[in-house]
Amino acid sequence: MAEYEPILLKNVGKEGSACIQVYKASGGYGALEKALKTMTPDDVCQEVKKADLRGRGGAGFPAGVKWGFLPADRQVTYLCVNADESEPPTFSNRVLMEHDPHSLLEGIIIAGYATRATAAYVYMRAEFTEQFHIMQRAVDDAYASGYFGKNILGSGYDLECYIHRGGGAYVCGEETGLIESIEGKRGWPRIKPPFPAIEGLFGRPTVVNNVETLCNVPHIIERGADWFLAIGPQGSSGPKLFCVSGPVNRPGCYECSMDITVRELIESDRFGCGMRDGKKVKGVLPGGVSMGIITGDELDMKMDFADPAKYGLLGLGTAAATVINEDTDIRIVLRNVARFFAHESCGQCTQCREGTSWLYRVAERLAAGAGRLQDLDLLADLSVSMGMMPGLSICGLSDGATFGIKTIVSKFRDELEGYIRAQTPGKAEAALSIVN
Amino acid sequence: MARITIDGVEIECREGISVLQAALEAGLDVPHYCYHPGLSVVASCRICLMEMKSRHPQTGEMAWSPKLVPSCQTNVSDGMEVRYKSPKVVEAREKLMEFLLVDHPLDCPVCDQAGECLLQDYAERFGHATSRMVEQKHVNPKKDIGPGTMLYQNRCILCTRCVRFAREIAGTNELCVVNRGSRNEIDVFPGKPLDNPLQGNVVDVCPVGSMLDKDFLFSQRVWFLESGDSICPGCSTGCAIRIDHNHGKVYRFKPRYNPGVNDWWICDYGRFLYKHINDERRLTKIKMRAADTQETLDWDKVIDVIIRRLGEMANTADGRSIAIVLSPFLACEEAWLLGKAVRKLAPQAVLVPGYLPDGEPDRVFPVGASGDDVKFTIRGEKCPNSRGVEVIIAKLGGPAVTFAEFLTGAASGEYIGVWITGGYLDNWVTKELLSACMKAESLLVQDMLPTELSDKASLVLPMCSIAEREGSFVNATGKLQPFAKAMPAGEGRRSDGQFLLDFANRVGAVDCPGVFNGDRVRTLMATDTGAFDEIWVAPAPPAHQH
Repeated sequence: MAEYEPILLKNVGKEGSACIQVYKASGGYGALEKALKTMTPDDVCQEVKKADLRGRGGAGFPAGVKWGFLPADRQVTYLCVNADESEPPTFSNRVLMEHDPHSLLEGIIIAGYATRATAAYVYMRAEFTEQFHIMQRAVDDAYASGYFGKNILGSGYDLECYIHRGGGAYVCGEETGLIESIEGKRGWPRIKPPFPAIEGLFGRPTVVNNVETLCNVPHIIERGADWFLAIGPQGSSGPKLFCVSGPVNRPGCYECSMDITVRELIESDRFGCGMRDGKKVKGVLPGGVSMGIITGDELDMKMDFADPAKYGLLGLGTAAATVINEDTDIRIVLRNVARFFAHESCGQCTQCREGTSWLYRVAERLAAGAGRLQDLDLLADLSVSMGMMPGLSICGLSDGATFGIKTIVSKFRDELEGYIRAQTPGKAEAALSIVN
Repeated sequence: MARITIDGVEIECREGISVLQAALEAGLDVPHYCYHPGLSVVASCRICLMEMKSRHPQTGEMAWSPKLVPSCQTNVSDGMEVRYKSPKVVEAREKLMEFLLVDHPLDCPVCDQAGECLLQDYAERFGHATSRMVEQKHVNPKKDIGPGTMLYQNRCILCTRCVRFAREIAGTNELCVVNRGSRNEIDVFPGKPLDNPLQGNVVDVCPVGSMLDKDFLFSQRVWFLESGDSICPGCSTGCAIRIDHNHGKVYRFKPRYNPGVNDWWICDYGRFLYKHINDERRLTKIKMRAADTQETLDWDKVIDVIIRRLGEMANTADGRSIAIVLSPFLACEEAWLLGKAVRKLAPQAVLVPGYLPDGEPDRVFPVGASGDDVKFTIRGEKCPNSRGVEVIIAKLGGPAVTFAEFLTGAASGEYIGVWITGGYLDNWVTKELLSACMKAESLLVQDMLPTELSDKASLVLPMCSIAEREGSFVNATGKLQPFAKAMPAGEGRRSDGQFLLDFANRVGAVDCPGVFNGDRVRTLMATDTGAFDEIWVAPAPPAHQH
């Protein structure tokens, strides 16, 4: 692991880092001036495309390519900023918005300029209360300094910015669910096509980008795509925020290039500083709960966009690692993961609506010590027949719901079977005979 | 026309329709819950998934999609290939049926929908006999969501057809989905019940037994019902309906697909008109005032009486004539036969278009829509055939007056005999009409429900309801829509068409002996009048298009 100079978190910890004066004093809004005064919108798009800035929200779709999907003859374009950060152990967007809201706003204006957006909507999750006030203050200050509104910095470019607060639903972090929610509707993801780039918010071409993705944009403009590409491995370039939580000595949000391993995240002095009380790692949910689990033997997995798939995970996800130590009952992990998705499924698609709650009911029974061996096969089978990849649901929530379950059951099957064998005989039958 | 291949069989289909629609039109019975051809596509039930090979937007090459694709959401394109019976699709569908039944109660024996339930049908055909679901099922209580509809939330599969109906067709937005995930429920806002003139349709669009009609609730198992196609007599829209009856009693009207007229819908006013058919007050016997005769009359003998009396009146020397009032509830054939037969005996008989129950303005849906956005119209003219009767009177020629002129004329004693037809669905007789008709020496009233007029008539002929008649109506947009007889006329009654045909045959006005046949009489009528040659018959919807 090479030495790493923080880029995204460089202002974090500074006195008054959320103030516009402090931000500007450290060169803030310089990239914006550069973009508006020396580059055309297409130049900005090209630069971001060249930098191969992959979306930090979870799916890792290249932002520049996404912008390129907008129809050329559009009249109105909207930019939606996904600040709904609801993946369970994830809090990197929150750190950015709390400590460096202006870097996000600068990214929004540059991205808005590149996509010729007329309005930007920042969709913040309901639980962001303090962060909302910080962001609103920052937006107000930016308006006062002429960074939003008409004719920004004399460039002739107009952009309005609104902060929209959600109602507390995980599924509103899905881009079309987010759009529906901004429109004032129930946050049910839309069927695609049409994709948001063609028909998005209020039926207009729309780009939805994550907070962290947009925070990268000013740096790309300032220092160029080649600088960005030089950070981290190929295909996973640029700075990345990682969250570490669970029984480690120093949980938190850290920045690094994407060539680090899960082991480093846990053990390095710069990150987790090792396990609390010297316990062993039983498993890690390295990308939020929806990407799946790796065991303590798989800690050499790289936290980039390519490696997680080799370990049977869905992807990098939000790069928020939840560490589980040897004392943890894996049945409880299973139950908690299942409970989250049963609670958060929007209920639109049949498989996801019924499947998530069914998985939870089975997981709950297992956790209560009333499991049956065939329940493990059932869990594995259900999680295959629910996913988006067979094409069974509108959005990716069901995939997220199943990958956690699927990987826990396959990777910790021995342990789960052990628990079931050790149960009081007849307990499962007794539990089920009450029902049936 | 686009050509697509479904499971190796090439079919031709209309451009711009969905693959599901194309498959349904080609006769494939593809299961679907959330898809309804009259509502927007949400693609959320995921049971119509298929494997699809289509042109890649970038490369232009034909490629199989790695995912299963909802066929309701995907439009056909030329050269597309689709697999509907492949193992992958079959397995996905089986699993889906299992998911749908995870929280569905096994209460088919007490569920009104049983027998016409898509969940039953598809579970039987595509599902497994057993479920791996052994946990406690979620239980949702039933909810009273409005004056006409009961919501059995437990049985709901969240297809949201009802929500979309209230939003897109009625435009009243009473229904919504509340809560999340498997706790999702259909609900109304507090204090805003489902109460609009089209609300009964949510029961029809519901593929399961979740939305149930309070009126029909527990009154009949659907497999005992016999059905006949008909046209709603409630207003001049002329909605296609199905009449469900058992043992001479009608239990409900259901809408029939009729594009451009009522599409898939009917209004509540029309829906509950079935009650007049079962009305116990309905006239059942031919009645003649005692002063005129003592003999009991049957339908054949009464024709003799009528012929005799009409003949006498036609030949009076005092210049008074006979008025024939043709009700807008008569079918075209009936009005034509009556006019034709009476004119044969009394060529100077005056034809009068019957009283028009009119007054309220038309109501359009969605509420507030205009122009092409209008999906459904409830007409203010509360009778089915005023246009047809007008055409008949015009084509028969000879003396004719308006209903208002008839009233004035009759009040001044202009008519020696009046033959007045009714069939109205509520009391329609005004004091003016009553006193005017009383001036005639002979008053023949042909009506369904008793009125003051029928009480005072010299001869009363019981009329049949829409379910027991056959013929055709001309609706507000000029469409001639034939309807069939859904059930036999009750005891003592004779179908009006049959009676009038017998009468017309006897006087030699037509030569068409035997059983009344709508098509045959319509052909005669079209030849005679030079009108009514264009018939609008609602096309049959593809199988299983609920």
